[in-house]
Amino acid sequence: MANPRVLDKRRRSIRNIRKITRTMELIATARFKKAMDRASAATAYTSRMTKLVQDLLASGLEIHHPLLEKREKIENVTLLVLTANRGLCGGFNGNLQRAGFHRGQELKAQIPNCRLEVVGKRGISALKFRGIAPNRTYTHFEDKPSFDEVDEIASRYLDEYATGKLDRLDVVYTKFESIARQHVAVETLLPLTAIGADPGSKAGRKAAATEAEPTSDRKAIYEFLPSPESILEEVVPASFKVKLFKCFLDSAVSEQIARMVAMKSATENAGDLIHRLSRQYNRARQSRITSELMDVIGGVEALS
Amino acid sequence: MAESFTSPVILRCIVVTPESTVLDTQCEFVALPLFDGEAGIAPGKSPMIGRLGYGELRVRQGGQTSRYYVDGGFVQVANNVVSVLTNRAVPAKSLDTSTLEQQLRTTLTTPAAGSAEMAIRERQISQVRGQLRVASHV
Repeated sequence: MANPRVLDKRRRSIRNIRKITRTMELIATARFKKAMDRASAATAYTSRMTKLVQDLLASGLEIHHPLLEKREKIENVTLLVLTANRGLCGGFNGNLQRAGFHRGQELKAQIPNCRLEVVGKRGISALKFRGIAPNRTYTHFEDKPSFDEVDEIASRYLDEYATGKLDRLDVVYTKFESIARQHVAVETLLPLTAIGADPGSKAGRKAAATEAEPTSDRKAIYEFLPSPESILEEVVPASFKVKLFKCFLDSAVSEQIARMVAMKSATENAGDLIHRLSRQYNRARQSRITSELMDVIGGVEALS
Repeated sequence: MAESFTSPVILRCIVVTPESTVLDTQCEFVALPLFDGEAGIAPGKSPMIGRLGYGELRVRQGGQTSRYYVDGGFVQVANNVVSVLTNRAVPAKSLDTSTLEQQLRTTLTTPAAGSAEMAIRERQISQVRGQLRVASHV
């Protein structure tokens, strides 16, 4: 026979948990909106950058840049894995860890010098559990990664690439497609694949397509200060930095969405549990009353 | 001259950074810090793409001038739209001379070895000097 008092205690503790998960859901929703605004602000930059590159290419310029050329011999690879600092966001971190781990194994098998860099406490502790020591870790990226912070990392990669200490950079992150769809993506950011065709995002491509329509724009013949080549030289690293920044932003947005979804289902689950426990509690209470009544009636009958 | 202010042809100036759109406004005149000196943009300017340096961006609208410090990047001028793509755009008023001077002093005294580090230091120095110049104009 279930003890009604124990059931009531459990029910109360679940109620408290439900309160917590609901609050976390609300916080995640607020943070998600902020992160989303930042991400769309970045899209304004990338779409303009695409436009600029297209206009540069329209001037009949051939793209040659060391960052765009694949190296024949790849000896040094860096794998950057972007995870979250906090848990309680469903499969978000787990998926990233798995994808990062697989890519890491693949790269290690092919290329001797493979460095591993991890962003986020969750990724770091997962690696510790697996007994792998990352070469570099970052924990200062929260839900609002600033461009300056990413710029620092991006500049280091560019310098390493220029001096030959790095031949390839792979990034594992959660790509944001829409509010209902995010997936783990493994992308090679260095050497850059075409800069004109894609600054990565669908929105950028869409913006480029819509802006390409007015014919008066297309006909414009630009004056270049100082020269198309010199501008291109600057555009390529800038577009790499923005791409990396976009990865960080996507990751931040996806984390909040994952947390929102996880906390929503946790809240619903807690509601179900409370419902079930309430029924059990009522039944137990009722049966206890019934048995007590039986006792009393039995006693009365025995006396009379 | 008076006609050009009343004429319907005006510029649209858009300043975007990777983090946000800093400015999106109608104006009469824009002065840009190009990599080798200043360039003024008035309505009807022929299409242009240019590289920016570290310096002051001035936007004049309705007789009032707002000043910004821009940290390199690019500018594209077409159809009376001036789009400025930069890593950082700060209103000149929010620059603080004393902290910048301190920053310049530490950058100047930091030792740099090798050509790569020298280049980075050079860039930092010109960035801080650019900010100081903008700050001193206010």
